[in-house]
Amino acid sequence: MTQKETFSEAPSLAKVFVRAALAGKKSGSTLPASELVLTDHKVDRQHLMDYQRLCGFGVDDVLPHTYPHILGFPLQAELMARSSFPLPLAGLVHTENTITVRRTLNADDVLDIAVHAEDLREHPKGRLVDLVTEATVDGESVWSGRSTYIARGKGNPDAERGAEAPPVPQGIAAAQWSLPGDLGRQYAAVSGDVNPIHMHPLTAKAMGFPKAIAHGMWTSARTLAALGRSVNGPSTSNVWFKKPVLLPSKVDFVVDRSQALTVAGLRATRKPETEHLVLTLETAH
Amino acid sequence: MTTASPRRAAILGGNRIPFARQFGPYANASNQDMFTAALEGLVARYGLAGERLGEVVGGAVIKHARDFNLTREAVLGSSLAPETTAYDVQQACGTGLENAILVSNKIKLGQIESGIAGGVDTASDAPIMVTEKLRRKLLKINRQKTTVDMAKSALAIRPGDIGIETPANTEPRTGLSMGEHMAITAKKWGITREAQDELAALSHQNLAKAYDNGFFDDLMTSYLGLAKDQNLRADSTVEKLAKLKPVFGKGEGATMTAGNSTPLTDGASAVLLGSEEWAAEHNLTVQAYLVDGEVAAVDYVHGDEGLLMAPAYAVPRLLARQGLSLQDFDYYEIHEAFASTVLSTMKAWEDEEFCTQRLGLEKPLGSIDRSKLNVNGSSLAAGHPFAATGGRIVASLAKMLHEKGPGSRGLISICAAGGQGVVAILEGA
Repeated sequence: MTQKETFSEAPSLAKVFVRAALAGKKSGSTLPASELVLTDHKVDRQHLMDYQRLCGFGVDDVLPHTYPHILGFPLQAELMARSSFPLPLAGLVHTENTITVRRTLNADDVLDIAVHAEDLREHPKGRLVDLVTEATVDGESVWSGRSTYIARGKGNPDAERGAEAPPVPQGIAAAQWSLPGDLGRQYAAVSGDVNPIHMHPLTAKAMGFPKAIAHGMWTSARTLAALGRSVNGPSTSNVWFKKPVLLPSKVDFVVDRSQALTVAGLRATRKPETEHLVLTLETAH
Repeated sequence: MTTASPRRAAILGGNRIPFARQFGPYANASNQDMFTAALEGLVARYGLAGERLGEVVGGAVIKHARDFNLTREAVLGSSLAPETTAYDVQQACGTGLENAILVSNKIKLGQIESGIAGGVDTASDAPIMVTEKLRRKLLKINRQKTTVDMAKSALAIRPGDIGIETPANTEPRTGLSMGEHMAITAKKWGITREAQDELAALSHQNLAKAYDNGFFDDLMTSYLGLAKDQNLRADSTVEKLAKLKPVFGKGEGATMTAGNSTPLTDGASAVLLGSEEWAAEHNLTVQAYLVDGEVAAVDYVHGDEGLLMAPAYAVPRLLARQGLSLQDFDYYEIHEAFASTVLSTMKAWEDEEFCTQRLGLEKPLGSIDRSKLNVNGSSLAAGHPFAATGGRIVASLAKMLHEKGPGSRGLISICAAGGQGVVAILEGA
């Protein structure tokens, strides 16, 4: 039985992360039955503009393909930080993300954002869980997202790996982007995701990374923005996060539009064999 | 002489974002953001997504150095086919109308089948420049190859060099602001405070009425939460305007206030033009034809003529070429840079001495029927984001002429900085 908990404003992520860091060891094999719902969310236009600029979307009244994700992310983190959630928030790595936009969303749309966890499953390298985000306007389902996280650990070598990522398109880069050292802090300021791995080389080192790493959802949003305005209309994207982007860095944007399904990817400019992400995009027209 | 044109250039529709006051809702929007939004609204309204148009011509008067390809960048950020060409034009406040004339000319010549003309300006997101002295010193530092030489060059910077400048509404050759120039002209033509306030109040009342009648429903797309021109004061009256203190001109005779001058504004507009064949293929209704355009310039530098009086010269030349009189129009759109600009221009056309000696005519052009002037409001009420005004007027007038019926005529007159004036004739379809 699902328990619905409503929020009139999103929980503070800084507090959620601190709570998660202080939480004891987690265990168990069942997911909380709670559904966290942010109700009657009115888009903050300044926030929308900051997000659009940072991710490379046009500054206008249309909500970017990925925008509802950052509205739902604090609820995801809140749910995952709870003691009833079987996996440790701090150790979770975002590996895949799927988004379906059912209709073009506008800054005037008042959104309800509901988040729940499902499909806790084994993987050869640990355990996977999906955090499902549903956005509705007046009861109409307008947007859904599925974020897959892995808790690395003792895996089951016989477990299913899930759908395999398509290969990153080869060939000459369509664009090269220079990502600044403070990109993680910039995106944290907009998304609220202040996970220390993104904030500073020192805090990232404490978490086992050589440098601060870019937020996966920034790299995904920036790549989608580069595919043009149609991504904000009815469309479905699937992104697979591969190697993290260490900041600062230069990345190549590669894209293949020869097939019905657009495939795009990011790879390191200096070391093209280092692939950061690959995504597929299907648009209504 | 009437030049036979090979084919007609049709105006098929327009779109703009509501105009916002400086530092208002568009304070953080760039020219590219706003022009893309205006374009995208037009694309959506006329089903142009993925379409390769002949060209898009835009521009801005106040532009950042990074926006050298402003219009092309906006096209690439829109849903138009990326193969659509684009270029920027800058002719001060005449930019938008000049762009419509340019696109229409290419259509008439058969060089293109379709095109979008527009413009954008922001008075909020303005470029910041360093002082000229500092700029030269910084460039010198940048040229140096060694750190030591760079440091030496850096030492040449004096505290007095440091400062920033933003673009000002000032004529470089005279050092006078546009308002100060206009105040001289207004005084010369004896334009009264009362007449200016009356025109300003009417502009607000007319624009408010146009909104009430739904006139802008298919001419506008809301942007960043703004659905109506922010400057509009529907309850504006001559009595209220009379209370404002003059801001341009000096002493007793000063007549120009913030109420009868246009405020600094942010906004963008775009107009769709095409050949009749292209319109038919795309199931689009021809609203009007862009018949002809003319541009004039005056020597305001030596005080021979007022800065904003060039349209007074452009219109008679255009009328002569088209074999029309000033009274042969159903609507007149005279851009309200200042209320006194409109009044001075109309007074000049009525003046025997001006028309015979300055324009070389046999007799005055005569009066225009004031009930046909700026009937859906103009820049005093809507605001005036410089390069966006031409597109606003062309789209609105084309719609008015279409409603009036085939053969109806409209005259557009826009004054511009630098002593230039762009004018055009539209014919209803």
